[in-house]
Amino acid sequence: MKLRPILLLLVLAFVPAVAQETGFAVRQTEVKKEPYSDAATIGTLPEKTQVKVVKREGGWMQIESPAASGWVRMLALRMGAGAEQGGGDSGVKSLFNVARTGSSGTAVATGVRGLDKEQIQNARPNPVELQKLAGFAAAKSDAEQFAAVDPQLKAQTVEYLPAPGAGAKQ
Amino acid sequence: MRMRALITGCVLGAFSAAAGAQFNFNLNRLIDTTKNVGQASTEINEQQEAGIGKEYAALLVGAAPLFENADVQRYVNRVGRWLSLNSERPDLNWQFGVLDSDNLNAFATPGGYVFVTKGLLARLKSEAELAGVLAHEIAHVVKKHHLAALKKGAGMQAGANILSEFAAQRGRNQMITDRLISGMKEVMLRGLDKDDEYEADRMAVVIAARAGYDPYGLPATLQMLQSMNPEDSGLSLLFATHPAPNARLDALESVMGTRLDRLAGQPQVMERFARMMLGPQAGPATSQQK
Repeated sequence: MKLRPILLLLVLAFVPAVAQETGFAVRQTEVKKEPYSDAATIGTLPEKTQVKVVKREGGWMQIESPAASGWVRMLALRMGAGAEQGGGDSGVKSLFNVARTGSSGTAVATGVRGLDKEQIQNARPNPVELQKLAGFAAAKSDAEQFAAVDPQLKAQTVEYLPAPGAGAKQ
Repeated sequence: MRMRALITGCVLGAFSAAAGAQFNFNLNRLIDTTKNVGQASTEINEQQEAGIGKEYAALLVGAAPLFENADVQRYVNRVGRWLSLNSERPDLNWQFGVLDSDNLNAFATPGGYVFVTKGLLARLKSEAELAGVLAHEIAHVVKKHHLAALKKGAGMQAGANILSEFAAQRGRNQMITDRLISGMKEVMLRGLDKDDEYEADRMAVVIAARAGYDPYGLPATLQMLQSMNPEDSGLSLLFATHPAPNARLDALESVMGTRLDRLAGQPQVMERFARMMLGPQAGPATSQQK
């Protein structure tokens, strides 16, 4: 029963993810045949070109557009159709409605649980809830074991990125 | 500190010379003030930081309770703890929690408490995206951004004094605690320094990459936020306390370039994430229980 709300939320979240998303180029960008910098360039997207986003692989997105279809740098895109996007309140209210109209709708049916200014303003410390939190904590060994099982997460040595202006931009 | 010890010494010297009982009261006040200033400039140690963070975390779970799903809570803790082991502060008492709020947001408090709302979690598509969000919060803890924000709290007189007073209190002084709490609320509503947010983004992609995740999880999450209606009520606090997603994406693009591309093939972990979010009910042959 407790799983219901997040299940419903997730289903909702997955719908646009599975269905194709719309995006647009924030600047002119090359379209590559494969998701690699040295792959063949098969076209160019002018700035503001609308595209359909098929999927993401690392820093690349597979797109379809009348101009060209292939792979572009993910960060050359922004999601949505540009100015006119979504409309209405796509967040709390619609999530709440879906959860509420669900067959059980137990946990969220009591009202929108926000975490907005008013709630923070009126909050009092809740030591009991904090104790519950501690009960879920993962030990170091637990986390290491988690990373070792499939899909394996291999620790890497990676330097932090320089602050803008501190190093050469690419 | 050396200066302060000197001042205290002078004051004491002056006292013994004067040796008048009528000076007693004034002197004690003077010493108290000197002591406070001394404490304020003292670094908050790890244990004190944990105490401040615990109070802060209690306030957050007071604003929104924990999402009632032990499996999801434990899962988020494993992901978060693994990320924290790849940070500069692997040995803090890291605790991660999913808050039962439909708003989209994530929070950290000093000492290693990290929270993500159910509303944000439900809109993520992969463990790498979750890792990006948690790593951003871990970076705030690593860099002690909240302590900095508390210290320079605009509406608070000498935020640093409140921190050190809280840290130094014996037992629990309600007045000091209340002052700290109001400072924390102010930081939650006002947000951290904007440069600290950009720094946490830059660090988050690296921490995620170090932990073996696709480093583009955070940029993907920011794109998701950017695509939402900015007037969305679920985003109001997040957007009031952070730079706009567009600006954060621009900043990340300029510093990431292709620097992390050799690690971009690391797993996004979509399947496990979906399985965890859907719970055992979604499995093909699982019972209703658990």
